[in-house]
Amino acid sequence: MSMYNFKKIAVIPTAKDFIDIILSKTQRKTPTVVHKQYKISRIRSFYLRKIKYTQQNFHDRLTQILSEFPKLDDVHPFYADLMNVLYDKDHYKLALGQLNTARHLIDNVAKDYVRLLKYGDSLYRCKQLKTAALGRMATIMKRQASNLTYLEQVRQHLARLPSIDPYTRTIIICGFPNVGKSSFINKVTRADVEVQPYAFTTKSLYVGHTDYKYLRWQVIDTPGILDHSLEDRNVIEMQAVTALAHLRACVLYFMDLSEQCGHTIDEQVRLFESIKPLFANKPLLLVANKVDIVSLDELSPERRATLAEIEADPELDVLEMSTVTDLGVMDVKMRACEKLLSFRVDQKMRSKKVDGILNRLHVAVPKPRDNVVRAPSIPESVMKKRAEAGDKKKRKLERDIELEEGDDYILDLNKHYTDIPEEERYDVIPEFIEGHNVADYIDPELFERLEELEREESIREETGMYVVPKIELDATMKEIKALAEQIRNKKAILKSEAMVQKHCKKPVMPRTSTAKVRGRNINKLRKEMSELGVDMNGTEDAHFTRTKGRSRSLGPVAKRSRMEVDVTENKNKNRAVSRTPRNEMGIKDVAMKNKLAQIAHRAIAKKVGRMGLKGEADRFIGTKKPKHLFSGKRGNGKTDRR
Amino acid sequence: MALRVQFENNNEIGVFSKLTNSYCLVSIGGSENFYSTFESELSENIPVVHASLAGCRIIGRMCVGNKHGLLVPNSTFDTELQHIRNALPDTVKVQRIEERLSALGNVIACNDYVALVHPELDRETEEIIADVLKVEVFRQTIASNVLVGSYCVLSNQGGLVHPQTSIANQEELSSLLQVPLVAGTVNRGSEVVSAGMVVNDWCAFSGMDTTSTELQVIESIFKLNENAPSSITSSMRASLIESMS
Repeated sequence: MSMYNFKKIAVIPTAKDFIDIILSKTQRKTPTVVHKQYKISRIRSFYLRKIKYTQQNFHDRLTQILSEFPKLDDVHPFYADLMNVLYDKDHYKLALGQLNTARHLIDNVAKDYVRLLKYGDSLYRCKQLKTAALGRMATIMKRQASNLTYLEQVRQHLARLPSIDPYTRTIIICGFPNVGKSSFINKVTRADVEVQPYAFTTKSLYVGHTDYKYLRWQVIDTPGILDHSLEDRNVIEMQAVTALAHLRACVLYFMDLSEQCGHTIDEQVRLFESIKPLFANKPLLLVANKVDIVSLDELSPERRATLAEIEADPELDVLEMSTVTDLGVMDVKMRACEKLLSFRVDQKMRSKKVDGILNRLHVAVPKPRDNVVRAPSIPESVMKKRAEAGDKKKRKLERDIELEEGDDYILDLNKHYTDIPEEERYDVIPEFIEGHNVADYIDPELFERLEELEREESIREETGMYVVPKIELDATMKEIKALAEQIRNKKAILKSEAMVQKHCKKPVMPRTSTAKVRGRNINKLRKEMSELGVDMNGTEDAHFTRTKGRSRSLGPVAKRSRMEVDVTENKNKNRAVSRTPRNEMGIKDVAMKNKLAQIAHRAIAKKVGRMGLKGEADRFIGTKKPKHLFSGKRGNGKTDRR
Repeated sequence: MALRVQFENNNEIGVFSKLTNSYCLVSIGGSENFYSTFESELSENIPVVHASLAGCRIIGRMCVGNKHGLLVPNSTFDTELQHIRNALPDTVKVQRIEERLSALGNVIACNDYVALVHPELDRETEEIIADVLKVEVFRQTIASNVLVGSYCVLSNQGGLVHPQTSIANQEELSSLLQVPLVAGTVNRGSEVVSAGMVVNDWCAFSGMDTTSTELQVIESIFKLNENAPSSITSSMRASLIESMS
């Protein structure tokens, strides 16, 4: 539809603006700082860039203009002709052609100066060359000032042209000025064309759209045409002629029988005859307007006779119409549409276009294959509603509820469960219970089965299946049971104690502490065992009473003294023990201690000895003078490193 | 009566709804505009139910049904199935079927009496269709497309098929289905007709893009207005040729 939409052409600035835009862009988008002490190649490339950038921008901008304006040879002949009438083809082509030349000139100027710049031997000379180049480009553009203003005007006018699709179904209204063309288009479409009681109210083409037979029809209102030769016609009339000449449309030739338009019927007939070549191969209707004043039958015989000539043409229909009383307006529209439609369909049928869609114009009607009746199933209520069409009750729709509740709206799915009673409708059914999908257990006979199971269960209960038999216990069994109970309790206590200890999150015992001596003694053993019911009588001389305490793990054995001192006596005394030195921690005995000392000594000696390497214990300063503290200006008291 | 509707700015309304003579399923969208269009037109006569299948909104393509029943794919959740069972009348049998071609709406087209199915559909599924939907089942293609459900819309009064369906194919399908058929488009030339519209015996809904000529073809072939289907070849012929070429 929007094949011919000229609204998208970009605005064309005036020559002055054009130059300003480009130069300021160069200024903004290229580097601005250069110094004379720079290397000459750098200075050259600095100015080279400016020249090339400016040239490129000129080039792009002009190319854009040239490509956006429609080429008269490419557009539909209707538009080409219309533009010729409105803007003068020669002027238009010349303007675009000159812009094209300007573009070439600018390119050449840039090329020349780029070449010259290679000989620039100082910043000053390079700069002069650049200024000259940009100046010449600007001069070239300045000379295009008139072309640019012309093209801007054309652009503005083009953008306001009605978007006429030259290929679609079109009805063109034409005739003398003031015969009621615009009134008709206002009647049949939603176009709002100005209607005034003087000639040439309509000065350009207007488009309206109307519907008929589910199709969209384009109605074009043309300015009035006077009866003189083509050369004498003005721009306004020529637009109408262009439309008539190039659009394949149904033509409505309007006549004013009342002659209120200021032209006699005779003149109107003569105009019809003179522009008749424009109607060739087009469906044509003669519309006699203003019949509310004079109808065809009321015409005087001599006037009627002038009309008779045209009416004699068998292909020409004469219709009466009055836009004031609406008489025949719709009839004219219908006849015009009908005539054009059949004309277009006829043409299409002759081309190959229709072959592809023939299957879509065919309705396959079934041949009955059996005697089964396959009736439509339309509910009674629908039929009833159809019968009483018209009084539509406004129901409250879900959408209304949604609008009412706004953000609080929640879709209620359960509302329509009409089979479920109201109080059960909103029952929450979990999807899973104890890891089982509820839906897997849904069963139509669920309740019956449940009932059956309950019945069976009650029978079992009645028969006493679940009664627990009474068990008699003798004395020994009772004792055993009591003991077992005691043991179980003890076990439970031990277990929980162990758990408590295991779970305690206290820090691990450090190496400094000595190993805990297990508190084993005979009394404790006796007590515990008797608590558990073991008979401990007669165990005074038992084997376990003779166990000797082991002392080896208490620490390294002291060096054997020459003097025979009673060591055992000493050991049993509870003396305060100072913290063990680090080199003795976790060490079993003296032999181990010596061995470790030797290993450590060797390891350290190896490190220190070899090439005087530092050991880990040596003093170490990573960076002697950190940069961040010693670089840059020093303020007062910043010299020192803290 | 044919209406133009849109689902969240999407014209493929056959994807988001399922219309039969005894119920209408509508997918759950962001707003109730779509649902309420159906509701205002239908809910006096048949239940209009919000539904989702396998958590998807494309219910029109996932399920197939008619007056007698509804078939949903295996991927349907239990809760969804329960919801549909609760909401639909007891006369409608709802059945979940195990079928490799799980987009049932695309592979099966049916009215209340006849069903066209994808040629590679399971034999078991075919039997279930015949039992639950109470239809005769035919394995067919439409314009050499196996997705019969996508390229064909059926009611008990007429049918719209893929626009490229040859006349011979139309005649064959028509004699199987025992309803008049026409080849056409919806949504300004879309050939997946089933995705663009839904229809039952007294009402049709189509996408918002549907042109007036398309809508007119729909109304006549499904007998939704006074025009007989034959008007497509007679009184509407000129406007059809004009709009299509």
